[in-house]
Parts: sequence; C-alpha cells; structure tokens
Amino acid sequence: MTSVQSESGNDERGLNPADVQNVRFTRASMLRPGYVDTEVDHVMSRVAEELARHIAEKSKLRNEVRALRAQIEGTPVHEAPSEQAVRILSSAQQTADAYVAEAEEFSRQMTTEARTVYEEEVRQARENAGAIIQAAQEAAAKMSGGAVAGADTGARSMQELEEQVAYLKAFGQACRVQLRSYLEALLSDVEKEWGQADPALLPQQPPHAPVQRSSRDAPDDSAASFYGNTAIEASPDRDADEGSPSRVGSRSAP
Amino acid sequence: MDISAMRANFAKAAATGDEAPLYFYSHLFLSHPETREMFPVSMAHQRDRLFSALGDVVARVDDLDSLVPILQQLGRDHRKFGTLAAHYPAVGASLLATLEHFDDQWTPELAKDWTEAYTLVAEVMIAAADEAAEQPAWWDADVVGHETRAIDVAVLQVRPRARYDYLAGQSLSLETNVRPRLWRYYSPANAPRPDGLMEIHVKARDGGPVSSALVRRVRKGDVLRLGPPVGHITLHDESDRDLLLIAGGMGLAPLKALVDQVARNGPPRRVDLFVGARNEDHHYDRADLRRLEQENPWLSVTLAVSEDKISSLEQGDVGEVVMRHGPWLSREVYIAGPGAMVDDTVARLQEHGVPPQRVHSEIFAPSRPGPSLYGEVTE
Repeated sequence: MTSVQSESGNDERGLNPADVQNVRFTRASMLRPGYVDTEVDHVMSRVAEELARHIAEKSKLRNEVRALRAQIEGTPVHEAPSEQAVRILSSAQQTADAYVAEAEEFSRQMTTEARTVYEEEVRQARENAGAIIQAAQEAAAKMSGGAVAGADTGARSMQELEEQVAYLKAFGQACRVQLRSYLEALLSDVEKEWGQADPALLPQQPPHAPVQRSSRDAPDDSAASFYGNTAIEASPDRDADEGSPSRVGSRSAP
Repeated sequence: MDISAMRANFAKAAATGDEAPLYFYSHLFLSHPETREMFPVSMAHQRDRLFSALGDVVARVDDLDSLVPILQQLGRDHRKFGTLAAHYPAVGASLLATLEHFDDQWTPELAKDWTEAYTLVAEVMIAAADEAAEQPAWWDADVVGHETRAIDVAVLQVRPRARYDYLAGQSLSLETNVRPRLWRYYSPANAPRPDGLMEIHVKARDGGPVSSALVRRVRKGDVLRLGPPVGHITLHDESDRDLLLIAGGMGLAPLKALVDQVARNGPPRRVDLFVGARNEDHHYDRADLRRLEQENPWLSVTLAVSEDKISSLEQGDVGEVVMRHGPWLSREVYIAGPGAMVDDTVARLQEHGVPPQRVHSEIFAPSRPGPSLYGEVTE
C-alpha cells in the first residue's frame, strides 16, 4: 500500500481529511486484488468525515476555552453585535445558502436525468423481452401446428392428439373384429374347398396359413393403411391364441 | 399589551421577506455563537419556517386556547434540536433587536409588550419541554439492516437503543450524521415489536439531501437519531370494522404497519390492501407483501400499475382499481400517498358512499421539513 500524501502527510502538519480522501491503495496482484474497492473507499470516507468532525469539535472546544477564560478575566462575553457584523454574516450566510441550493439543484438535475434514461432503457428492455417472448410463443404454436393439423396452442394440439389416438384405437378394434369375421368366413370356405380337394390333409395342416396370406392380400388399400397400427396391438393376443412356431412355419410355407 | 400595535410591528418585519429572518439569525449567531451549530449549513428553509411559526403565534396571540397547545408542541419538538432553557433569552434578545431594526416607529412600549409576550411564550415552551423530560430528547438507533430494493428505494432495519413507544401508522423524525441538523419524517412500516426493530422505507428524492443519503450512503452499523413519534394514521380502538387500506408509492409504510398491527394484536378482521405504483419496478416491497398475504388468510393484497402497459398487475390509478372491487361501504378506510392520489381516491370513495368520518388520509409529500401546525406529515 502506498499513499500519495504519505511523505508529506504525517509530519508536523498532521493528518487532514483530504489526505485520507486521497489515499490510493496499490493492487496486490492481478489475480488477488485485495480488499473490495468500494468497502475501502467507504471506510476511508467515513474516516475522513470522522476526522473532520474531530477538527470541528477541537475548534469548538478552543472557542469555549477562550470564552471561559474571558469570563474569568471579567470581560463581557456577549455584547450586542454591530450592524456591520450582522450585515457581513448575513451576506456570508446568503452565499453559503446559494452554494448549497446550487449543489442540490445540480444533484437534482443529474439524478432526474439519470433516472429518466434508466427508466426509458428498462422500459425498452422489457418491451423487447415481451416481443421476443411473444415471437417465441408464435413460433412454438406454428411448430406444434405443423405436427397436428389445425392446432394453435400446445394444449389444444395435445387434446386433439389424444382424441385422434382414441379414435384410431376404436377404429382399429372395429377393423380387427370385421377382419376376424371375414377371415373366419374365408377360412371355413377354404377348409371346405381344400377339404373337398384333398380331405386327407385337413387334420395335419394348421388352419392359419391361408389366414396370414389372405390378411395381407385381402384388405383394400384404405384398410391396409391402418393395418400397421392395429397389427402392433393385435399381434400379442394372436401370439397368445396360437403357437408361434406354427405361424412361422405357415408364413414361410406359401 | 397592545396586541394590534404588536401585529402592525410584526407585519413590517414580515413584509421584508427574507431580510428580517436573515437579520435575526445573524444577530443570534453573533451574540451567541454556540447556537450556530444547532442549525444546518443552509439556513434558507429555516428562515421560512421561523417567520411562518412566528406568524402563527402572532395571529393567535389573543386566542390562548389554540395557541398554548401549539407552543407546547413546539417546545417538545425543540428538545431534539438540543434546545435548552438557557437558549430562550438569547433568542428573545435577537428577536427584539430584529423587530426594532425593521420598524421606524419603534417605541419603548412595544419593546415592553414584546418582552412580556415572548417571556410568556418561552415559559410555555420550556414548561412543555420539562414535562417531557422523562422521555429522551432523541433516541439513538442502530441501522442493523440496509437493503436496496430499487434504484432509488432502500428498506432500513433500525433498532433504537432505548425503549421507543409509538403506534402503528405514526411517523417519526430522523436525522443522520451524514446530513447533520436536517430532520425528515418517515413512517415505520411495522407495529411496535418486542425486539424494538423498525422497518423504514426510504425513496431517494432527486436532489433530496437526506433521502439520498439514507438510500446511498447510510449502511449497516450507522447510527440515526429519532425524534418522538407524531401523526394521526392510527387504528381507532373503538372500531373493529374491516379495513380498506390504499397506498400510493411510499405511502405503503404506515399502512403496512396497520396490517402488522392487526396481525399482532387484532381484533380479527378482513383487510384489503391496495398498493399503486407507476410500474412494476416501483413495487419495491412486493415479495414481502405476498408473504404477508400467504401467512394471513384475512389479508388480500392487490398491486396496481398506472404507467406499465405490459404488466400483468391490475392496470390504472389505484383509486380506480379499488373501485373495480368492492363494495366498500362498511369499511374503515385508510389512505396514504402523494397528494393527487389521496385527493382522487378520497373523492371516489365519497362518490361510492363511504361516510367521510370513516375515511382517514395522510399526504406523503417529498422532502418538506416537517409536519405543519395542522398535523400534516411529510415523508
């Protein structure tokens, strides 16, 4: 730590408030700069204030001592001030008042201006932030609108999606029921035909080989588009119904 | 005592404007230099106040019933400035010299009358000051917390070193050693607490020497001086009506104290607090108000903004927002805030049909030196 005033400041002249105000600390290093500047500054300004207060108190006490001495010596302490003295003090006071008023006015203008700029910037920043958020929401709505036709908000598209899933499940179920009765009819038909062609084969042959084949071939195009959906759900119970090895065999058979 | 002659004489001095008080103080400081340090550096406001106070006294000099309470209050108030009984004759001598200086037709009779009148005034003031002597002249209070809530608003936690009695909603004058001899009025934002802690809300007024210092210079560990409590926003014991509290800006402090009082001491009642500010950033106490609202089921807090179009808070002047809710006909109403806001809200409530005796209001104006003789309190 060094002080600008350190050489001249601490001799017979004594430390004055300005010396304290002007102390500048050197930085310890780039990485560890030491104390927090503002705290040090704060303490220093308080020290300076305290010093000023002590100096004022000292002069007050000196005056008091002088007055008391004068009293002991019998000289009258209070005599009516002369007109001239009153005039001089009055104009000095007015000068002081004017300076204080000017300083306050300056401070008022500065802070008013600073506040106006600050509030305007904050207002603009908030408006910008608002605009960005709105744009982001619109973009999000557009994106979710692409995934599900006609949806404008996330909540709505979610609900619509759920409705569609429910509809598709019901549709799939209906398709499966219809398909099954169709296939069963077909199956009995085939059995009849095949049995008529070669009745000896009937007991050994699992009945499902033609089913697989016909389930792929038979449905028309619109049904086929749902086939993928329903097949996933349908396959487990089919696997449960039938022995899978036989299915594998039957699928490869035709 | 020739009162009309004294009034004519005083009018001559008062007609000179600033000159007579300037003369008075210069005369006083020259003859009694030790009195100078009881006043701030700038005497400009002081001079206005001296002659307006003297004018009040002169105007009421033949109506002792109204004069005496004013003098008693003045006497008590002056204790915090360090005024002693010994100062009164010094002031009297300078006052007499001033009145003589500005009157070409000064007579020994006038001198005698003024001396008599002043002696009487001084006696009343000194007696009132002595009566209050068991109370401290001022209270030293430690700043134990200082939180900057907005660019120009700070909330201070202050703990007086000696017992400090006040009522929720009252104001107190305070002085900081950073701005000596400048006293300003603030309202604690809480009811008296067992640990004595007080919450003081301060907004730095542009160019305001005390408020700026309190927000930007005073820190934890500093010491403030407090004067005795004053002001009339207090809950009346005889009423347990539900409350409607309406605050504008820094007028929140006394009303938050009323909420605190209901929370601490009851009686149980519904309390609706409306707080108006220009924009969201000016709602510096929002978090704490939400906390109070959550802790107390009887309390509902509504925040309003008047110049913040993108805010999600209620839009409009706070009086207007209050009217959107309601009805409020059965409520006891307390209003605190800037003059325009108070006037507007009082008018709306009257139109709404709330009886005037149930509407209590206090104007919080920036940076005026103190309550007037009529009890108007400034921030």
